[in-house]
Amino acid sequence: MSYFILQILPYVTGAVFTIGILYRLGRWARARIVHNITLSPFPKTNTEVATVFGTEVIFFRSLFKSDFALWIGAWFMHIALFSIIGGHVMGIYFLGKQFVYIGMSEGLSEFMSNLLGTTFGIIMFIALLYLLYRRFAIQKVREVTVTSDYLHLILLISIVAVGNIMRLIPDWGIHYEPVKEYVTYLVTLQPVPAEAEVLHTPLFAVHLLLVQILLMVFPFSKLMHVLGMFAERWIINRKYTEPAPGLPNIDIPAARAAGLGLPSEGGVE
Amino acid sequence: MPTYKDMVQPVRATDADMKKIHIDPVPDDQKCEKAIEYLDLMRKKFRSFVLAMESCVKCGACAENCHTYLGTKDPRNIPANRAELVRKIYKRYFTLEGRWLGKLVGAEDISLDVLEEWYSYFYQCSECRRCAMACPFGIDTCEVTMAVRQILHWLGIVPKLHAGVGAAMEKVGNHTGLPKPGIVDTLEFLSEEIMDEFGVEVNFPVDKPDSDILYVPSSADYLLNPYTLMGAGMYFTYIGANWTIPSTVSEAGNFGLLFDQMFTQRHNVTRLLDAAQNLGIKKIVWGECGHGWRAAKMYIPSLADRPVPWPITHIHDEVAYHVRTNQLKLDPNKVGHPTTLHDPCNYSRACDLQENLRTVIKACVADFREMYPNKERTFCCGGGSAILFDDPEMYQRRIQLSAKKAELVRATGVGANGDGYLCAPCSICKAQLYPMVEEHELGVEVKGLIDLVGKALVWK
Repeated sequence: MSYFILQILPYVTGAVFTIGILYRLGRWARARIVHNITLSPFPKTNTEVATVFGTEVIFFRSLFKSDFALWIGAWFMHIALFSIIGGHVMGIYFLGKQFVYIGMSEGLSEFMSNLLGTTFGIIMFIALLYLLYRRFAIQKVREVTVTSDYLHLILLISIVAVGNIMRLIPDWGIHYEPVKEYVTYLVTLQPVPAEAEVLHTPLFAVHLLLVQILLMVFPFSKLMHVLGMFAERWIINRKYTEPAPGLPNIDIPAARAAGLGLPSEGGVE
Repeated sequence: MPTYKDMVQPVRATDADMKKIHIDPVPDDQKCEKAIEYLDLMRKKFRSFVLAMESCVKCGACAENCHTYLGTKDPRNIPANRAELVRKIYKRYFTLEGRWLGKLVGAEDISLDVLEEWYSYFYQCSECRRCAMACPFGIDTCEVTMAVRQILHWLGIVPKLHAGVGAAMEKVGNHTGLPKPGIVDTLEFLSEEIMDEFGVEVNFPVDKPDSDILYVPSSADYLLNPYTLMGAGMYFTYIGANWTIPSTVSEAGNFGLLFDQMFTQRHNVTRLLDAAQNLGIKKIVWGECGHGWRAAKMYIPSLADRPVPWPITHIHDEVAYHVRTNQLKLDPNKVGHPTTLHDPCNYSRACDLQENLRTVIKACVADFREMYPNKERTFCCGGGSAILFDDPEMYQRRIQLSAKKAELVRATGVGANGDGYLCAPCSICKAQLYPMVEEHELGVEVKGLIDLVGKALVWK
């Protein structure tokens, strides 16, 4: 089973994920931006457009203004998620020594890597539970929810839960080195040796299986909102140049001097 | 019969009404099949629609930002859920997950009931776009409403009100069905009114060749909001403009935007361009009409079937420009009423007019009070997209839809002494708010903005 999850499935996942996303992006690209539906206030320059994109993507500005309670859960969840994804890449590639490049000692770097990973894992777990709680507890949110919305959250929660267990109970976890070796085998298309530690760490296989399910679901679900956000903002936050004000052949001082509109005789207030 | 299985529905256009707007209604036994075919066309054409279908995470942030949901508390009026009425069909027929997993991902087969549901709920949406502003991704549910209304139109399901207006637009060039002699008569009457009330001589030139400015008033201004047209006439006279009103397209609004963007809307654009060419125009100036200004400013560039050499601006862009450059003498004390401004959603969210409105109103009114939330966060009057239905059920619903606005107007305190002004510079807002300020007992009178300019102008 571990062999299937670790040795065969990743290639299937990679293919489904890549082709799926290309398929979805193709669907979006086929349809056009037909009319100008820019939202006020209109950006006057591309710098302003970039500012809108930036504040929306990094700070979830619209959500902050329109639903602060949701923003708390959503923003922390996403910041933790991206930190964790970044942490996985950096930690596994540099074996936890990535912070050496910003002047830390190797020991401190590994400590920081662990500390940040554990912290963000817990933040994300709590934030996800909060988002799930919201779906049950707030009537208007329950009313917009269908089964798959719960399942997405439960899948994410399971992934994070397994990850956190591996962090918090070192015996069930795994170090960076064997994972890096494993990734190297995968990327270089070499078979993983039967004695490799990853094959004998059950929670690692569970964690990886759940992640792969998520990646395969990704292109066929609302998880595409990550890319949808950019595509949608590309439509509704565009630069707009107003026509110059001022009416043709108008000379107001001359019109007033001529007394236009004033009757030739009789009182005007 | 304005309800269907407990859903309110506007009175429907008859087959004869539909024929006048060039649609032969699809028989019931083919409706579902055709609906899917038209939905397919929509998704292949409009990216804004596809993205609304495919990237909503249903976080619910839109709920509290929709006046329709706030007023009715009907869960299907939550923007995400209203879109879900189509999304469930879209998923079922156009996505792999919907085809394979069905109910699990919320997919559903099409049925006549679904079409009835669309007709009810997409004609409760005001296309005000407050949800687009609130959505973390900027998903614009207005685009969903527009797409569904287009599909319903092709199926032959349109409110009698909208179909009638569409037919009138094609016949005489305005929504109220007013022919040229009626227009000329009304304008002469308005000239006399201006003379009596303000002592100013104003002529309203109709179809005057070689005019510099083409002014396109809302046709509701002839009958319902005469002071708006009078204000515009006084302004153009004051600045000494060589202007005219075209009789062939005497309508700032364009109901095509609201139910048929293919023929009805484009037809009106064509009329406008013809009129501008025939009258030798240099600039087109738009009157007070919210959806009409959106249709003009944002849609003419993409709907025109030829190059458009004339710049198109809104009258408040021009008045604001003259105010900023100190060319108008305005006495704000002439308007002796506490006044608040209702930002029409189409101006303040779709057309970036919100700052100019303020420049103008502050120059015309001494006691101006902002209403919050304002500008691009404004709440709709509840009549947006012309859901101004008069039958008893829908009228009751209109009272609910305007409840949020009423609350905000009350909070400004302008109506405390019963002599407040609620400035609503949009014909649909006016038509909705005239009865609604009475229903909610707000103690305010509804005014246009150019009305106030007319009142505040100092002539000597």
